[in-house]
Amino acid sequence: MAGWGLLGRLGGRLWAAAPGRPLWAAGAAAATGASGDRRQLGFVVRHVNSTTWWHEHLSEENVQFLKKITAEEYKAQTDSKLCPLKDEPWPLNEWKPDSIRVGVVAVKLGMMPIWTKSGKKHAVTLLKVQDCHVLRYISKEESGGKTSKLLVGGKNASPFFKSESAMKIFKEAGVPRKQKVATFNVTDDALIKPGTPLYAAHFRPGQFVDVTAKTIGKGFQGVMKRWGFKGQPASHGQTKTHRRPGAISTNKAAKVYRGKKMPGKMGNIYRTSFGLKVWRINTKHDIIYVNGSVPGHTNCLVKVRDSKLPTYKDCNKNPPFPTFFADGDEKLPEDLYDKEIFQFTDPSVTYA
Amino acid sequence: SCRISSDGKPAKFQPPPKPIIIDRQKQREERRFLSPEFIPPRGRTDPHKFYIERKDMIQRRKVFNIPEFYVGHILAVTTADPYANEKANRFVGICIQRGGKGLGATFVLRNVIEGQGVEIRYELYSPRVQAIEVLKLEKRLDDNLMYLRDALPEYSTFDVNMKPVSHLDHEEIPVNKLQVRMKPKPWSKRWERPKYNIKGIKFELPEKKMKEAQKWSQPWLEFDMLREYDTSKIEEKIWKEVNEELKK
Repeated sequence: MAGWGLLGRLGGRLWAAAPGRPLWAAGAAAATGASGDRRQLGFVVRHVNSTTWWHEHLSEENVQFLKKITAEEYKAQTDSKLCPLKDEPWPLNEWKPDSIRVGVVAVKLGMMPIWTKSGKKHAVTLLKVQDCHVLRYISKEESGGKTSKLLVGGKNASPFFKSESAMKIFKEAGVPRKQKVATFNVTDDALIKPGTPLYAAHFRPGQFVDVTAKTIGKGFQGVMKRWGFKGQPASHGQTKTHRRPGAISTNKAAKVYRGKKMPGKMGNIYRTSFGLKVWRINTKHDIIYVNGSVPGHTNCLVKVRDSKLPTYKDCNKNPPFPTFFADGDEKLPEDLYDKEIFQFTDPSVTYA
Repeated sequence: SCRISSDGKPAKFQPPPKPIIIDRQKQREERRFLSPEFIPPRGRTDPHKFYIERKDMIQRRKVFNIPEFYVGHILAVTTADPYANEKANRFVGICIQRGGKGLGATFVLRNVIEGQGVEIRYELYSPRVQAIEVLKLEKRLDDNLMYLRDALPEYSTFDVNMKPVSHLDHEEIPVNKLQVRMKPKPWSKRWERPKYNIKGIKFELPEKKMKEAQKWSQPWLEFDMLREYDTSKIEEKIWKEVNEELKK
């Protein structure tokens, strides 16, 4: 009975230590305790998040100082990378039909209508190339794939919320911390030195592009929204069944097949829109006007690359290879338009 | 006042007070109009995106004149049409709605032609639109005249060959307090309900129906602070920007 009393107290302590602990744990502890009182009870491993945020133990002055010096460091880093052609770039090669060049990481700003010269309206998505830099080169042997890879980073972000190991890549490239890092499979003649900035002029109007991004997350959704099932009628005797999947397999199968469409978490996965035409490029603000819609919410980061579709193999001829260098000889006008697009400087459209 | 002061000497000459000149010209110029499609909607979009769209809108306005107009004005719009005789199509009608923001801004014109009611939605910035003329400037009591669909056809008929009524720049745009008579119910929408807030209909419904319609009123809506969207400062900035660009 004394043992029971000890057990009771131990159980009570267990209970007090972790209020969320399920009942069976206390029961199991009691059961094991009954067999051997002297045996050590299992440790209650509470996953308490005891990480601190970066300025929890810093004074106000130090916080301001750190913010100031990181801002200055970022500025210095971006300024030092403005002339990639003068800083011993890697060898520049000519474009061949087989070469695959890098893509770009952009921010989805929103959508807008545009009109063609024939008067037809199309919807375009604006993608802004914000602080895009090449981060690292991974050779074919190192990655174990068929082609070498180039890591490209998008929008600048705060360095204080990541560990030092995560920041290593950015420190090596000499570039501020980026919000999104994308991998591009690239042929060996299209390699770029890490640290080179990438601009919207990397693409040209008239070419076709694939855009990948994480779709808008819809949470746990039922089968009608997630898979487009028809559900059941609203009336005529349906008992408590209006949006359910109905039958999930046949009698002969005697099992449910793997991959059966059922309710679950919808969205927040990477999806690609293929073969989107580039209508217009704004070199001053680094904006790409891409036909149609693109997965993701506004202000999300997307990965843009040349289209891999066989129909557009001949459309992307002689692009800026390996990328567009802003300090090079080419001085582009502020806006580059596709030949079909109606520019607002022209008078209204007339049919002769 | 007595000219002779207390010591018997004549009082010092007081000049008459200066007349106060109210410069009506300057006062009238203070009237500002910013087309509603310039005002960005409330949302999480980057203001930079609206700035870029505005540049295109201003560019179009420099080439093609889009006059100032409100809901209730009578407009004549000529569009390019590949299937018309003269390759151009002219339509006259009263503007019943202005919708959309940015480059996709639209307006709907309504007219009754040969007994058939016709409504056409035009895009303000479409390149096919060749001319927009304001024939009659007149505001109505509401911002949305969709109830003209259920009103008697005489209120939506306008002469196709109407001559433009002259209007001086500095005068205020007159508000037509016309109360429109409706066709018998059923209507396309229950216009008597408070959510539409229509002042331009002469409701000939019995009192009981009007009282029953007030059941759907939501008097708390005007006090809802989350719905407040104060556009005055944004409007100021955008008005200055647009005017400066258009003057160039």
